[in-house]
Amino acid sequence: MTKVPRRMDQPLQGMRVVEVAGGVPAASCAHLLAGYGADVVRVEGADVPVAPHWTLSADEATYLLPGKRRVLLEGEEAGAAAALAALVASAEVVVLDGPPGRFDVPAWRAANPSLVAVTISPFGWTGPDRGLPADDLIAYAAGGLLSLTGDPASTPLATGGAQALWFGALHAFAAVTGAYYGAVVHGEGDWIDLSLQECMAGALELYGPAAAYGEPAALRFGNYHRAVWALYPCADGYAGVFCLERQVPALFAAIGEEALREERFRDPQQRPQHDEELSAYVLSFMVDRTGDELARLGAERKIPFGKVRTPAELLDSPALADRGFFDTVQRADGSTVAVPGRPFLGMDWKGGGPERAPVEPIEAVLAGWSRS
Amino acid sequence: MEPIVRKLPFEGVRVADLSMMWAGPYATKLLAELGAEVLKIESPSAWDNIRTLIAFPDQAEPWNSSYYFNTYNRAKKSVTLDLAQVRGRAVFLELLAHCDVLIENYRADVLDKLGLSYDVLRAANPQLVIVSMAGFGKTGADRALVGFGPVIEMMSGLTSLTGYVDDDVSYKCGVSYGDPVAGVAAAGAVAMGLLQRRRRGVAPIVDLAQREVAATFAGGAFVAAHRDPAVRHHGNRHPAGAIAPRGVYRCLDEARHRDTGAYALIAGREADEQWIAVSALDDGQWAELAALIGRPEWAALPLTERVARHDELDGAISAWAAPLEAGEAVAELRDRGVAAARVLDMVAIHDDAQLRARGFWIDLPHPNMPEGWVQPGPSWRFVEADTAPKVRAPLFGEHTRAVLSELLGYDEATLDALAAEAVIADAPINPGVG
Repeated sequence: MTKVPRRMDQPLQGMRVVEVAGGVPAASCAHLLAGYGADVVRVEGADVPVAPHWTLSADEATYLLPGKRRVLLEGEEAGAAAALAALVASAEVVVLDGPPGRFDVPAWRAANPSLVAVTISPFGWTGPDRGLPADDLIAYAAGGLLSLTGDPASTPLATGGAQALWFGALHAFAAVTGAYYGAVVHGEGDWIDLSLQECMAGALELYGPAAAYGEPAALRFGNYHRAVWALYPCADGYAGVFCLERQVPALFAAIGEEALREERFRDPQQRPQHDEELSAYVLSFMVDRTGDELARLGAERKIPFGKVRTPAELLDSPALADRGFFDTVQRADGSTVAVPGRPFLGMDWKGGGPERAPVEPIEAVLAGWSRS
Repeated sequence: MEPIVRKLPFEGVRVADLSMMWAGPYATKLLAELGAEVLKIESPSAWDNIRTLIAFPDQAEPWNSSYYFNTYNRAKKSVTLDLAQVRGRAVFLELLAHCDVLIENYRADVLDKLGLSYDVLRAANPQLVIVSMAGFGKTGADRALVGFGPVIEMMSGLTSLTGYVDDDVSYKCGVSYGDPVAGVAAAGAVAMGLLQRRRRGVAPIVDLAQREVAATFAGGAFVAAHRDPAVRHHGNRHPAGAIAPRGVYRCLDEARHRDTGAYALIAGREADEQWIAVSALDDGQWAELAALIGRPEWAALPLTERVARHDELDGAISAWAAPLEAGEAVAELRDRGVAAARVLDMVAIHDDAQLRARGFWIDLPHPNMPEGWVQPGPSWRFVEADTAPKVRAPLFGEHTRAVLSELLGYDEATLDALAAEAVIADAPINPGVG
């Protein structure tokens, strides 16, 4: 049996996790659990219901599969189901993102009262839409974020990188750790029925609550809400300035235009009537400066500037390297790639390693997980 | 399965919450939903900005009347303490001795400037789990940068991935996306910190850089960057061409002319536009879609050809959708098994049948909010434990006296003296400057 080496002082050391054929939602959730010390076994095979169109791309697999063990679920249906049930019975956590209703989660819970089960699906396991087919775009649309994103003169625009799936995965990770803490302290696990739609519908900033209050539905803004909360061209790409009222004086001082001392700009009640004029001042300031220059200025004067950075730029970031952010994955061809590592510092994380573990017999995993 | 009355995961856990705006309060909302007692601590002279981010000129207590604040701070207790005053810090440190967790999302240097370094906090309570959520972390060359959610998203790589097909302009998410992303991670960090404390007897100090959490959402793009550092935009199409056609298509507008009032300053224009999202997930769904839009001769087009002719297919779907109401179009698509959804705007989402069927929108009466005002229920739907929120967001300082009395044993004379020194208050000292 292949043992993934773990430090004994990791926070999730001792947590045994079954990941059932995870696409991004389950695989990313389990990736985070594995990094903090859980023993994750990913169940693959023709009999495992992969969430349609959530299957991992090669790049996502490189990022999400290191640090996990793998088993194959094969053979006739009843036998495969029994083998999976045996694994789940020996685990503390099971993570699923397949179609709702395929597995008898209540039976798993009944057999293992301390089990934490999380099912991740586009719409949840109940309700009229529970079984509908959906990919990231459909879930993003149903969750409300799509209506708010993109250029108002063009179509609504999905945020890149399949965010409905990643956001759901992080929710699943945090919910599992919370429920697992409850299981350790109180002795009872639970089943978390996580809907990607609900994860997003609960994160509509002020726009969702505003409509509930009786305000109109907000149209998407693109990159421009108002002059001091917008994204502009800068000398080497695009950069943004996103100021609250308390930071506006520092921004105006940095811009240094005499006109910005006038009451019509300083007074937040009058400023919207002069927003177009103000945006011209901000634009002329931004286009003359690089992202690095803006960052330095922002740090000095406490102004929220930021540059649109690409992953390639971030791989070269001294600040991220200094914080030890990246893990290293060894690929089958002998090459290595750097990937984002721990989401936070302060608890032991072990990420990276070989891209994919060899397949183990289920019996070997069960023997190692024996509760006797 | 019927809910069973039993303990929630964080029952018995007390959280001192110094966080403001959205990221930190989002985290502590999640903790409160799982049973934690969250003490939201604000200064009478420097309170949570989102209380007054939106003007409520007609409200007697605007700081208690914000839908923004009252959505993300429910089930918490409001305690006022001026940490800029020596006496306020002393009370705070005394209070920390009764807490399990401290969570804050100040700029990286603020705790130290307040005289509340980790050493000071630890001296007050060696078993305190501390979670700091500075935008760029407490260490490293970028620690002095300042940023809210959009800046975090831009600096994490995520914004660079978003844009229309073959267009170089990158677009930020429509919300301050870095905030809830960091908030969810922080809630997980608290749970793990409590686990670690329980098992090893050592409470961790967590340094959560919001930018780093967001960067983990671009993991595949970081792998791809080793091959090709250039980023290409795909609009709403599948980036690898594994699904086609895929996009959003405009339907009939839905007129909703209402007075936008002061809200126009925040929200800009009103959305009358209605759109649907469609993904032909496989050949079978495409065949159904082709028939529906009146192009049965396209039904056998293989995926590669659908990708190559995506513009043409989009045109046909757009023409089909344009005269339809969005709900009608989605119903027809779903009847044929095609993956589709209405692009729910902020009004339509409150009427969505699926969310309503699951009881997602909840009504927690609040003295400063209109009757019938609803808010989102928990995103973490525990099937067995009852996590339904039952307590509204607190009024400013509503629990100060009770908390300081019950936990620290302060008598009325002491509390009055604190109030006289403006260490505590039941209203902001300088409303409007938040």
